[in-house]
Amino acid sequence: MAPNVYSEKKRILIADDSPINREILMDILGNGFDYVEAFDGVEATEILENENEEISLVLLDINMPRADGFEVLEAMNKNRWIDDTPVIIISAAQDVDFAERAYNLGVTDYISRPFDVHIVRRRVQNTLMLYEKQRRLLGLVGEQVREVQKTASMMINILSHIVEFQNEESGPHIQHIRVITELFLKALGQIYPEYKFTQEDINLIGTASALHDIGKITIPTSILNKPGRLTPEEFAVMKTHSAAGAAMLDALPLYKDEPLVKLGYQICRWHHERYDGRGYPDGLKGDDIPIAAQVVSLADVYDALTSERAYKKAFSHEKAIEMIKNGECGTFNPRLIYMLDSVADELYSRLNGAPENELDDDMRKLTAEILQKNDITYTGRTAAILEKERKKYTFFTSVSSDVMFELSYKPYILTFLNDAHKRIGAKHTLVSDPLDSDELIQCCGKDKLQDIATLLAKSTPGNPIIAYEGEINIDGGKHLCKLVAQSLWTDSSKPEMTGAIGKIFIIE
Amino acid sequence: MTVRQLYDKVGGDYENTLARFLTEERMVRFALKFPADQSYALLKNSLESGDMKEAFRGAHTLKGVCQNLGFTALYEPAHRVTEDLRAGNQVKEEDLRELEERYKELLDALRAFGESNA
Ligand SMILES: [Fe+2]
Repeated sequence: MAPNVYSEKKRILIADDSPINREILMDILGNGFDYVEAFDGVEATEILENENEEISLVLLDINMPRADGFEVLEAMNKNRWIDDTPVIIISAAQDVDFAERAYNLGVTDYISRPFDVHIVRRRVQNTLMLYEKQRRLLGLVGEQVREVQKTASMMINILSHIVEFQNEESGPHIQHIRVITELFLKALGQIYPEYKFTQEDINLIGTASALHDIGKITIPTSILNKPGRLTPEEFAVMKTHSAAGAAMLDALPLYKDEPLVKLGYQICRWHHERYDGRGYPDGLKGDDIPIAAQVVSLADVYDALTSERAYKKAFSHEKAIEMIKNGECGTFNPRLIYMLDSVADELYSRLNGAPENELDDDMRKLTAEILQKNDITYTGRTAAILEKERKKYTFFTSVSSDVMFELSYKPYILTFLNDAHKRIGAKHTLVSDPLDSDELIQCCGKDKLQDIATLLAKSTPGNPIIAYEGEINIDGGKHLCKLVAQSLWTDSSKPEMTGAIGKIFIIE
Repeated sequence: MTVRQLYDKVGGDYENTLARFLTEERMVRFALKFPADQSYALLKNSLESGDMKEAFRGAHTLKGVCQNLGFTALYEPAHRVTEDLRAGNQVKEEDLRELEERYKELLDALRAFGESNA
């Protein structure tokens, strides 16, 4: 038989103190899944702690010894396992007050006793499908972030290369500084937890590192490209490049407060400062030198040592590390020196070996961070990324009193967010085949559903937003409402509509 | 003895359980596991030792299992006992007696059924 990449079974954690109930559930769901069983809440939490990434779904009983289902849910929230691992609670139908509390803790659905084979299977399938879809959406957004970020850093690289062109030494310096800077920051954060760099910080500083020498555009090429040593007068001119670069960034009235530009300012101005205060232009000492500048400074020195220049040949990796440790290039933060020692091997292989495949991992982390941030006023990324992301997330994060929903075409499912299904009288958050759903027809009538579907079908990737007004049954009465939705498309050359996100709000 | 006869004998809901479980085979397989379930013992022992929290858990689990297996006659007293314990009330003697009788009947019937179909 041909190997099948999809053959790996999904793993379901069943936490229920009754062995019979666990066995019935496994029997109903059949051998298409792998199962892990937990007898109580403590055991369930331990299993999640060890293998939450392998678990695709949790079926959770509420009444359990030692720790109950709510305690498990709280742990899942605290550790953010609930973001990737959906939970279905098992409860008797009469325990509705439980259900409310469980939904607030992020539960996706419930299975009530007595178990019904069809219902159990359907709930489990729906939940797995929904999460699959979310994961795909996450991948899609990641793709988009990656694209925009690539463009942004490409622009910065082009600008920086203009400087380097004039500088002749050029080469892959800019790219190196960025790779080294990001590597250093990551290692520094791992060794010293007090440096709390998020993946986003690391990317930003990495991008900003490309700007470190832009001030060189103001230096006469006769000095910049002079073979051999500079005279003290020439060196004095050369040294003005750091303050000059910072001044250029400071003169950008529109972008001055962007984190990228602020970091760029620090890096430009202080990447030739030294920890003992003997650098330039300000003679800053110790941790008065912003950490971004300290790191880029070390990266710059290492890359300069290991590169060939008009006045010197390249030193070996080992020799460069040794020279830095001996203080031959000035004094650095001892923590940075310790960090350098610990990443020396990785540094060498990153710059000389195969292209890094960690990039994907970084992008995934970054995307997850962006998705976790529900604050749309956040301006952590460049303006371009923000603009693009804002469009998407405003839908999810703006006025929470709106009925928000997500529509997918394959499978054809409408999902209400934030329990909004209750407001329009639907029983579940998931509505399959929405056009034929009695609940939705009850709510707004078949013709309105059809109209909205037609509007959506007519939307395009360039013009994805549709709006519709009409009377619908909501909050137990007829109200004039507005529906706004945005269609979602694949990124391919022939974009395909994958679904839509949208909201409904009362306008009278 | 047929499965329907078994359910009729113990006051179970054959129709509904079959509709939920889809096959008689699955019904029987799990019905025969019932005697090994520890929740009744947990309820009894905890009531004796005065551990009301564990008694509640025992009653609640017993109720849930009965509900799943369609053992309605045992489910009913289990339900009443569960609700009393949940509310922190004194458990009624007559409920406990009914629970014990139904439980014994059920175990006997399951044993007889198991032997007749061995
Ligand atoms: Fe420089």
